[in-house]
Amino acid sequence: MAGTDQLSAVFSALADPTRRAILAKLADRDATVTELTAPLPISMPAVSRHLKVLERATLISRTRSGKWRASRLEAAPLREAADWIERYRRFWDSSLSRLDAHLAAVQAAGRATDRLADDPTVPGSKVPDKEL
Amino acid sequence: MDTETPQLAISRVFDAPRELVYRAFTDPDQLAAWWGPIGNSLPRDEIEFDVRPGGYQRWTEVFAAEPELRVHIYIDLTDVADGELLEGIMHATGQLPKGIEPFETRFRVEFHDEADGRTRLEIRQWLPERLSAPSEEGWLEAFTKLDAALIRAQAIAADHQG
Repeated sequence: MAGTDQLSAVFSALADPTRRAILAKLADRDATVTELTAPLPISMPAVSRHLKVLERATLISRTRSGKWRASRLEAAPLREAADWIERYRRFWDSSLSRLDAHLAAVQAAGRATDRLADDPTVPGSKVPDKEL
Repeated sequence: MDTETPQLAISRVFDAPRELVYRAFTDPDQLAAWWGPIGNSLPRDEIEFDVRPGGYQRWTEVFAAEPELRVHIYIDLTDVADGELLEGIMHATGQLPKGIEPFETRFRVEFHDEADGRTRLEIRQWLPERLSAPSEEGWLEAFTKLDAALIRAQAIAADHQG
């Protein structure tokens, strides 16, 4: 659980649109300072400063492989939340599809029961009220 | 009612009258007929409903393909309006699928009349406490803005290059 200072660091890091743009890019894949700078109208040293802020907020980590230093999004808690939402969305989707079919069946059965009950040629056709 | 923004919102229209759709949620036999993905089932003798404000809905979910699983769902109903609204806290315990911890989640289901005798369901669900602690909630909110931020950044870059 992040402490209050940590939380402040996260919020102030996210408050800046350039840093959010950087995080959005890192959500796709890891990237170097050069790659992160390319779509932005600011200098590489400026991007480096933003990366330091994000790193202090533990929103990213930086790895060195060879001479290139890549930044990586660290959003494990966020991912867990997103996974949960996705799981429940799928759950509702499949449940509600079944509900759709169920309601159609219930209504069809109700109409059949009505027809049967109204049919004078069917003796004792009054089916117990199923409260459909 | 919870004024916090729900993390999950689903709207769907059914070709059935509102009363019938409501009953599909509140009649044990009917809920058992459709709840959950295909392959799960709700043993009838383990379903207990007392649908009213302050009441409950309880059932067990079993899965044909995974007999070791037994999920107990206990819903504390905080708000009920006959034919219109079900709101409560759902607790999931028992032998849950791998990777899923017992959890509780607030939900709200509204039943609205639509034209031609159809019904619109509005389902809202809130993340479990554990996942929506202030930090993560802040993150979640911040990250929903990321796409917009990215689009803006691309627009700025395009202007810059142009």
